[in-house]
Amino acid sequence: MIEGHNLTRRYGAVAALRDVSISVPEGEIRGLIGPNGAGKSTLIDVLSGRAENASGRVSIQGRDVTQLSAQERRVAGLGRSFQRTNIFANLTIADQLEIAGFTVSEANVDEVMAELGLLEVANEVAGQTSYGIQRRVDLALALIGRPKVLLLDEPAAGLSAAESIALSRHLRDLVHRWKVTVLIVEHDMEVVFSICDRITVLHLGQVLTEGTPDQIRTSPEVVKAYLGSAA
Amino acid sequence: MIVQLINGLAYGGLLYVVAVGLVLIFGLRQVVNFAHGSLFMLGAYVGYVISFYAGFWAGLVVAIAALGILGSLLDIAVFGPLRHRGPMTTVLVTFGLALILEDFAQAIWGKGLRLQQPPPFLSGTVAIFGDSFPVYRLAVIAMAAIVCLGLAIWMRKTRVGLFVRASSVDPEGTAMQGVNTDRLSILVVGLGTSLSGLAGVIAAPLLSLSPSMGSYVLIDSFIVVVLGGIGSFSGAFLAAILIGQIHNLGVIFVPSLAAVIPLALMSLVLMWRPSGLAGTAA
Amino acid sequence: MTDLSVGDLGTGKRERQALARRRETLSQGAILIIAIVAVIPVAYLVRSNLVLSLMTQAVIAGVLATSVGFLIRQSGAVTFGNAAFYGTAAYCVALPLKAGLSLPLGIALALVIPPALAYLLGLVIVRIPGIAFSMLTLAIGQALSELALKARWLTGGEDGFSFALPKTVVGLDASFLQRPTSMLIFSWSVLVLVLFGLSLFSRSRYGRVVAAIRENEERARFIGYQTVSRRAATFALSAFVASIGGVLATLYNSFVSPETMHWSLSGMALIMAIIGGTQLLWGAVVGAAFVFFAKDWAGDIGEHWQAVIGVILIVVTVGLPGGISGAMMQIASRGSRLFKGRGAP
Repeated sequence: MIEGHNLTRRYGAVAALRDVSISVPEGEIRGLIGPNGAGKSTLIDVLSGRAENASGRVSIQGRDVTQLSAQERRVAGLGRSFQRTNIFANLTIADQLEIAGFTVSEANVDEVMAELGLLEVANEVAGQTSYGIQRRVDLALALIGRPKVLLLDEPAAGLSAAESIALSRHLRDLVHRWKVTVLIVEHDMEVVFSICDRITVLHLGQVLTEGTPDQIRTSPEVVKAYLGSAA
Repeated sequence: MIVQLINGLAYGGLLYVVAVGLVLIFGLRQVVNFAHGSLFMLGAYVGYVISFYAGFWAGLVVAIAALGILGSLLDIAVFGPLRHRGPMTTVLVTFGLALILEDFAQAIWGKGLRLQQPPPFLSGTVAIFGDSFPVYRLAVIAMAAIVCLGLAIWMRKTRVGLFVRASSVDPEGTAMQGVNTDRLSILVVGLGTSLSGLAGVIAAPLLSLSPSMGSYVLIDSFIVVVLGGIGSFSGAFLAAILIGQIHNLGVIFVPSLAAVIPLALMSLVLMWRPSGLAGTAA
Repeated sequence: MTDLSVGDLGTGKRERQALARRRETLSQGAILIIAIVAVIPVAYLVRSNLVLSLMTQAVIAGVLATSVGFLIRQSGAVTFGNAAFYGTAAYCVALPLKAGLSLPLGIALALVIPPALAYLLGLVIVRIPGIAFSMLTLAIGQALSELALKARWLTGGEDGFSFALPKTVVGLDASFLQRPTSMLIFSWSVLVLVLFGLSLFSRSRYGRVVAAIRENEERARFIGYQTVSRRAATFALSAFVASIGGVLATLYNSFVSPETMHWSLSGMALIMAIIGGTQLLWGAVVGAAFVFFAKDWAGDIGEHWQAVIGVILIVVTVGLPGGISGAMMQIASRGSRLFKGRGAP
């Protein structure tokens, strides 16, 4: 499980996150949605240790990790993927996954490659593969070692609607098998409603509401926030 | 004591003129010009040669013009085309250029030291408050002050100057405003190198000419730029004065550390705030 | 998604890759031995002491250049400060000898102190990105050089000092350090061993991780690596190689001066590495050989070898990223293709 308590993060005078608390119990897939600028990526950054000067507490599996660096949180069982593909462009796919495997006790490189359909392109240089494959590599790097908690920042960004759904469904299946706790940022509502157990809605750096997909779909506040920001 | 202060100010003034050229070039092209010291040296020699035929001042004017044109050519041929290649590329290329220029100077004028006399108008000493001061040193300080003032006015009152100031602070933003940075660069880099040449001519009576005179000044001017804050003109001014004083007074009071202090300061600043040099990778 | 089995592409393939790596180590070991043995007849056939001397100097310069090229290749970092480690190592050897202490002690100090210093320094400075890092190495290296220059009581100041080499070292006759042939063989063997060691490093797990850090430092942290300590260690390894060069140089010259620490020496090592090519580990050695012998080979142009080096540096930087060694490999592979009847690619 992963929890954030009273997280606040400022960029100068602007508060990207204001007193945000979130608690994702073990094995749950939590969606994180909200209009642009709501603070979704910032929340992921704070939880994963990418953002400095944030106040509040973060805990993983009940252990306080607030003072730990991103590298230490990884070792503590946290994996994350990136909205803008963040891979090792000049290394082969197999090579970088293998290197990711050195830091975990059980390197399941083959398993991850098989799950994400990367076996055929394993020996290609990552930067020379298609965008879709690179997205999957970004995800694969996070999955090595079967992390206990997974933070996903728009894993399907830039993929077609069909690819998006396929990847997401496969992901849901995978995390259920592995019993991973997931927090996933997504813009595609179809994806969110189909794979998430619960959804947290952020708006202007604060938690607007939280609930099951049905509750969120029909929540007047959410509708207002989304329509209001589009207007 | 005051004489030492004057000497320090004179060297500081020289460093300022050289450093401000580096700041101009870095501000516009985000490149560290390793050939800057060699251009300084070239300016000194051009001034030297011309002064035989037409006197010191003619030499000064020709050197400024020649180095300015050379700088513009440098921008057109090197800085412009290589601007997307990452800062290390231009460092290496200008390094190579420095080697070539030094060889060129050696080939024409030999490795030995050559002396240059200051112009008769500025020779000799003048008595102030009972101490006698070399006129030329005072003149160097004056010339540096004129350059400083001239640049300050230019950057505040003219359109081009304003663009340069803006570009030094925010190169991307300025480019987005529609300013043609390429054309601006040709002008500004030329200005930067001409200042280096100017400094070279002025330095010649003080330091004597040799093909390697550039490398002495190069490191010191890098230190000035870093200490002053990359892209800051007023910072360069203050840093130049500081380094000039350390250079001269240091030799008297802490001779074993005099050369190390500026380098140590530069290291500390780079460790503490590398943002200027570091944040501009392609 | 595919009917290829894991065994075909996954573990099986990676086991084969591990095997291939071991085979590569063995073949490189063979090359190492051949290279060392091959220089022996060369050393004895060359009659001229002057040429032998030049060759030895080129080899020693090659060690220093390799230290710079290695850091570029492994870490993507350009350093202007390796001469400081080179010179410090030289003094570590010279000072004990001057004081009448043993040579092994000096060598041990030389191989420990500069790299340790580099590691501690590295922990701070590798965090600094880009050109700022390079300028920092320039400033620090030059500061050390200036300190050495001023500490006359220790370093002999501008003049440096010479010292006598011992008659024996660890019971062996040390006169081999004085003779041109044996010194060449010795230095060359050290160089080849260094290259072999660096190759092992870059193909090891640690080296592969460092390469990944070079590619994407942020993601390396997010997959669990402490990047600062590893990059500092790589910087220290580069300093270690430079120190080896310093030991060789001081033994060769029986003389040491602060000039060995000047940034222009670092600059020359960098030029050798770039001209020779940084994509291949042995590129820097080719660069060193080229710079050393260009003067003689170039004939009349040799008078202006500094300008020639400058031109080549520019050409390589702008248009020939693999340097001379890269060009050699390209010619060799095209040649072998033609030879095998496959025609030009």
